[in-house]
Amino acid sequence: MLQYVLAEHPAFAATTGLYGAAVALYAAAWISTKRLVGRVATAAMAAAVAINLFLVLYRAYEAGREPFKSLFESLVFLALCFGLLYLVMEGLYKTRIFGVLAAIFTSGLMVYALAKWDAEIVKMPPALRSPWFMPHVLVYFVGYAAVAFATVVALVQLLAARSPAVHRLVTNARAGTVLTGKALDLDQIAYDSIRFGFVLLTLGLLIGSVWAKSAWGDFWVWDPKENWSLVTWLVYAAYLHLRKVKGWRGERAAWLAIVGFAVVMFTYLGMGILPTAEESAHVYSGS
Amino acid sequence: MGGTPLAPGPRTEVSYVNSTSTPAANPAAAGGPSAQRDSRLTALLIVIALLAGAVLQIWVPPGRWTAIVGAGLASWVVVALAVFVPGRLRQTVAGFRFTSTLLIGLAVFAILGTLILQGKPEALYRARYGAVAPVIIGLRLDDIFHGLPFAGLMALFGAAVMMSASLRWPLRGRNLGFFVAHVGLLTSLGGAAASSGLGIRGRIDLHAGGDVARELVVTKGGIATGEIAPLGFDLKLDKFDLVLYESEYRVGYYEKARVRDEDGNVVEQWRLKTSFDPDTTKHRLPGGDSFRLEAVYPDFQLVPQVSPVAQGGSPALQAVVDGKARWLMDGESVQTGDGRLAVAFGWGSPAAPEGVLTAVLVSGAARQVTIHTSDGDATQPLREGAPLLGGAVKIASLLPSAQRSSSYGTASAEWRNPAASLETMEGGYPRRELVLASRPRAVMLARGGALVFEKRDQEAKAFLSHVTATRGDDVVNATVAVNDPLSFHGWTLYQVNYNPKDPTYSGIEAVYDPGVPFVFLGFALICLGVFHMFYIAPRFAAGVKRDQPAGPAAAA
Repeated sequence: MLQYVLAEHPAFAATTGLYGAAVALYAAAWISTKRLVGRVATAAMAAAVAINLFLVLYRAYEAGREPFKSLFESLVFLALCFGLLYLVMEGLYKTRIFGVLAAIFTSGLMVYALAKWDAEIVKMPPALRSPWFMPHVLVYFVGYAAVAFATVVALVQLLAARSPAVHRLVTNARAGTVLTGKALDLDQIAYDSIRFGFVLLTLGLLIGSVWAKSAWGDFWVWDPKENWSLVTWLVYAAYLHLRKVKGWRGERAAWLAIVGFAVVMFTYLGMGILPTAEESAHVYSGS
Repeated sequence: MGGTPLAPGPRTEVSYVNSTSTPAANPAAAGGPSAQRDSRLTALLIVIALLAGAVLQIWVPPGRWTAIVGAGLASWVVVALAVFVPGRLRQTVAGFRFTSTLLIGLAVFAILGTLILQGKPEALYRARYGAVAPVIIGLRLDDIFHGLPFAGLMALFGAAVMMSASLRWPLRGRNLGFFVAHVGLLTSLGGAAASSGLGIRGRIDLHAGGDVARELVVTKGGIATGEIAPLGFDLKLDKFDLVLYESEYRVGYYEKARVRDEDGNVVEQWRLKTSFDPDTTKHRLPGGDSFRLEAVYPDFQLVPQVSPVAQGGSPALQAVVDGKARWLMDGESVQTGDGRLAVAFGWGSPAAPEGVLTAVLVSGAARQVTIHTSDGDATQPLREGAPLLGGAVKIASLLPSAQRSSSYGTASAEWRNPAASLETMEGGYPRRELVLASRPRAVMLARGGALVFEKRDQEAKAFLSHVTATRGDDVVNATVAVNDPLSFHGWTLYQVNYNPKDPTYSGIEAVYDPGVPFVFLGFALICLGVFHMFYIAPRFAAGVKRDQPAGPAAAA
């Protein structure tokens, strides 16, 4: 398989390899005192994202349509969304502490895409030939990326409370950790990401509903995918409401963020195992 | 969204975990007396809603009106109780704890709806769920979203939204988003109730050039109810177009995959993993092997070939008749299309074919040519390449000992009958096979997987119904397509069906939905409200903090 990917899809191999290299480089930046190590890690991540973008654009050119029809395509697209969002967050919060987990997530997506390898370009059926398709998927995937980032932050938050080593990473100023010299407010960062993700999940849900109306005449048909998208929205809505309830910040909120992301992943990848999957118009054929 | 909304808030020196937020650090936070009362009241209200719904459901079966009326009435009852009953009920119903619990409860219902098939016959539940089936049917979990327990939760949710929004009145900049988002939720839910309760949906079967439709067959869940509803206008199908993608030829790589069949059994199935353009590039395969198309023949045909041999052959003559070159073996002849002229070849003395006016008889042993006509015979020595009969015939070459064979070729550059010579390389050993797209077969690979040279059938790209809708003087000619419905006098027409065996047929679904404007308005309000709540309201809050005078009094 590896020979095949290297020979037939060098850009895919390069993207996956660079995401993998970013894992090692970000980990090195955790312990290194040299700024260069952290910068190289960011450069590797940025290069991976750039080639990932090329992969997505080239796929769109080859297929002559939006590059996220099949599960394989959507995994590559999600890796791009997450990689890009991570780089923005790294710049905004001025920290590389989340780099290792972020790069593991993106390379994991690419490896999973490789394992599924439904690389065949399939034609767009009439139901998906809609001006709503692009905004619906785009908004949802950036929203997924945002809540995925919140999960990475929540994981670090939970680890920091249990591991002195991780605690030192989030409080000490190093090239690969905190660049501002100030301790990170992980709870606030996770909240900011979920807030951003929730706005997009709301928008995505509503766009999907409007699209369903224009395609089928119904806003909502209680399709399994629709239901799980609603569950995702409800869980994050509960997260945002619970933050106003005393005692629901810190670790509890972190756990809820992780549960929310588990629901997101199930909504994205797990529909095929539901007993009602055959009723769904949304289940990926390649899943 | 821009860069600003993503920006972190003012950075402060705080620890990695908010120390004031954990129950351990602040025991009073999670469990004050009012919080405990809120929790108890929340649990009580939810249990009452679920139990009341479950009990009432014994007499009131699930249905769209059950859900709408049940949720609507119960919602107002809860609001009235919250407003008029003294105590903590109002604060509880409007509180974040109550809403959070309800959101999780609604999520549980939504999940149940994906674990249990909805709206199926009882027999199917007994077959599929076994011992659990009586519970599913008894609790009416087979129509969970139209049942009273779900309506009870929706009632509480509606009441919570109303109460929490009312607490934000009078409006200020900082709570405008919250209010608008919650009003949007109520507007959407109201619109959805109107759609569900007052909406009409049904099928119209049209034929191009056929009868005008004036009514529809009402359906529920895709099944005809037996009711007929008037459209209020005339609808005619002028033409139906099935637009197809262009067909293409590919070399597909298939692998076996374990999938579940309709009965839930795990079976092996060949699945297309990837495919390649039919060119002569060498490709590597996922299993480590490689392949290439040595040659591609768009319009495949076998080309006859004659080649000289030292022994065991027979004489052969290449003649050009009417511009076409043919090889003739000993005793064979060829005629022109009109049958007036023939060339016959023999090692000895060939005879003229019957019924031919002019024949060129070539003797290989004598190396001479006899022109046979009704006027008599004229013989001359054989000269290879020399034109005969004014150029109508030419003897190209004579081989004393030759063998006939054939080779692969293409009759034209058009992709009429594509074939390819496929070379696979497995473990360093090459293997060649001729593969034809007209008769696709799998070239099995030793390590698993298979290659198939195949034609991708033309897939449907769009279904287009060109219709004319008429009501009085209002005449509209439009095209109805999937994702592109037509709205006319309160009805919306959707393209939903076609018949590959009847190109004149088109299935249209007509929907009358009075709730649409409210649902869309609600969506817009939700979007605006949520955006304001998270990205504009915090600026108001920051502004209020800045405006407050500093000092001990302010801190107090």
